[in-house]
Amino acid sequence: MTMPLIKLENVWKRYQMGKIELVILKGINLEIEKGSFTVIMGSSGSGKSTLLHIIGCLDTPTKGDVFLDSQSVSKLSQDKLAEIRSQKIGFIFQQFNLLSHLSALENVTFPMVFQGVKEEKRKEKAGKILASMGLTERITHKPTELSGGQQQRVAIARALANNPEIIVADEPTGNVDSKTAKQIMEIFVDLHKREKRTIIIVTHDVEIANYAERIIKIKDGEII
Amino acid sequence: MNKEHFKIAIKNLRTRSLRSWLTILGVVIGIFLVVTLLSLSEGVKNAILAQVRMMGENVLMVMPGEGGDIMTAMMGGLILADENIRAIKQAEGVDLVIPILWRANTARYQGEARTVFIMGYPRKEAQDFFIENMGFHIAKGNWPKAGRREVTVGHLVPIEIFPGMETGDEIIIEGKRFKVTGVLRSLGNRQDDSMIGLDLEYFQQVTGIKEGAHFASVRIKENFTPDEVSANIMEELEETKKRRRGLEDVPPFTVFTREGVTDMVGDIMFLLQVLIFGIASISVIVGGVGITNTMYTSVRERTKEIGTIKAIGAKNSDISKIFFIESGIIGLIGGIGGVVLGIGVAKLVEVFLESPAFAFDVIISPTLIILGLFFAFLVGCLAGYLPARRAAKLNPVDALRYD
Repeated sequence: MTMPLIKLENVWKRYQMGKIELVILKGINLEIEKGSFTVIMGSSGSGKSTLLHIIGCLDTPTKGDVFLDSQSVSKLSQDKLAEIRSQKIGFIFQQFNLLSHLSALENVTFPMVFQGVKEEKRKEKAGKILASMGLTERITHKPTELSGGQQQRVAIARALANNPEIIVADEPTGNVDSKTAKQIMEIFVDLHKREKRTIIIVTHDVEIANYAERIIKIKDGEII
Repeated sequence: MNKEHFKIAIKNLRTRSLRSWLTILGVVIGIFLVVTLLSLSEGVKNAILAQVRMMGENVLMVMPGEGGDIMTAMMGGLILADENIRAIKQAEGVDLVIPILWRANTARYQGEARTVFIMGYPRKEAQDFFIENMGFHIAKGNWPKAGRREVTVGHLVPIEIFPGMETGDEIIIEGKRFKVTGVLRSLGNRQDDSMIGLDLEYFQQVTGIKEGAHFASVRIKENFTPDEVSANIMEELEETKKRRRGLEDVPPFTVFTREGVTDMVGDIMFLLQVLIFGIASISVIVGGVGITNTMYTSVRERTKEIGTIKAIGAKNSDISKIFFIESGIIGLIGGIGGVVLGIGVAKLVEVFLESPAFAFDVIISPTLIILGLFFAFLVGCLAGYLPARRAAKLNPVDALRYD
């Protein structure tokens, strides 16, 4: 029996907001295969982002267990989780979250710093990834000097810097127009098909969901 | 790895350069105060000690006034009465007593009038004593003869006060002409090097002071220790007090030995320096609070950035290192700036205060420079500790949501 790449077992997430307890996730069971393209769909407040954070090892469940490569990650220390994120996971955000004082190239080299990659090698690799995104001309530009689509491509390049197995994206097309959204999605398709990476995207947009092999719908913290 | 953190920290500081520089300025001001005040006080200490060292080991100084307050007694114009001087002469172990008077006075040379210190002493008795026990030497010319209208001038007089003055020239004090017979070799401090020495008789004529002395130099006999004779002198002086009525009006006296004065100057200056350091440290600490404030602001502003960096693989320790290095750099640059400014201002004060009556060289020791830098760096690190910890402990999910 082969284990799936990611496995969630009865995952609960609760938040204490003063005296009120918010239950965000209510016993999620989920398996994601290696090399799959999954879209998690749900309206805002459905718990889809929290689910993505847990899958991306950015957050841990209140109850339940998460396995990544057969290893339980739900009880790991923050440093261990950081290490896993650094090696295995590439994050992409709705608002790109590029570091505004750094150039496109420097943004892409940044994750490699925490992997101890030498500066020259970092720049070389970042340059290559940016070139594959068609951004060779833009490597010295600051994020503010780039369009939304270009910024998101830099962010995708950054997510790829450490060559992660898994790409997780939270509404990656939420801040760009529909034409640019299409271009961005084609990049994800390419990463999935050509590079065999595991793609997990959270969205509320049906159009985006159409690119996926598998759609998981979530409502009020439960998979439906 | 740490080199990388350092680079990131530098970049972050540059991004907020105005705020960084203002925070650095806060540290600069504190460290500058420490460096300037300590180097000035060290200079004062050396100036005083230089004077003390001229005194021979077999020499005592008797002054009116309480002990421990040498400056007040010297500046305050208390006088030893003639009967006090007679009492000192009677003390066992006393070989020689030289009463000495001084005053700031106008002197004219070739039509130009300047304020100088004139010193009066009984030349006949004092000459040999000054040469043998107080380190006075003639650099040019000759010692004056006792009872003549002749003066010696300090080393700096022909250089700074009356440039071009030669031995044999005339100088006019209160309308009386004196011949300059000799220029003294430097005595190591500006006050003495700027003095004009008169025979007591003429000093009294010129100033109208008819009796007493500002202090008395005493040479002790062989086979007596300074402490022994010092005690004897005090005893005699107490006797003169007892012979009078209205004791409370008679000033007390103090006998200084060279050792005693050296120790006392050392003690006073040490206390003074501790006090100065304590006060100046407050401003360094204020600078440190400025760093903490800046760093907290920075953590707030960069919350989302911190969340992002964590998401892409930074450990808590990476985050805290970056913030810690940032505040350390602020401290260190502030320290360098403070030391440079401090030395500059100390030198300026030195030039500005230069005058025959009060002058000294500031002492900028390597220890002081290292102290300044280290202190600034330490404050920077301490100030950055809490903000760095807060940044490191931010929950990445919350941080990413922060706007």
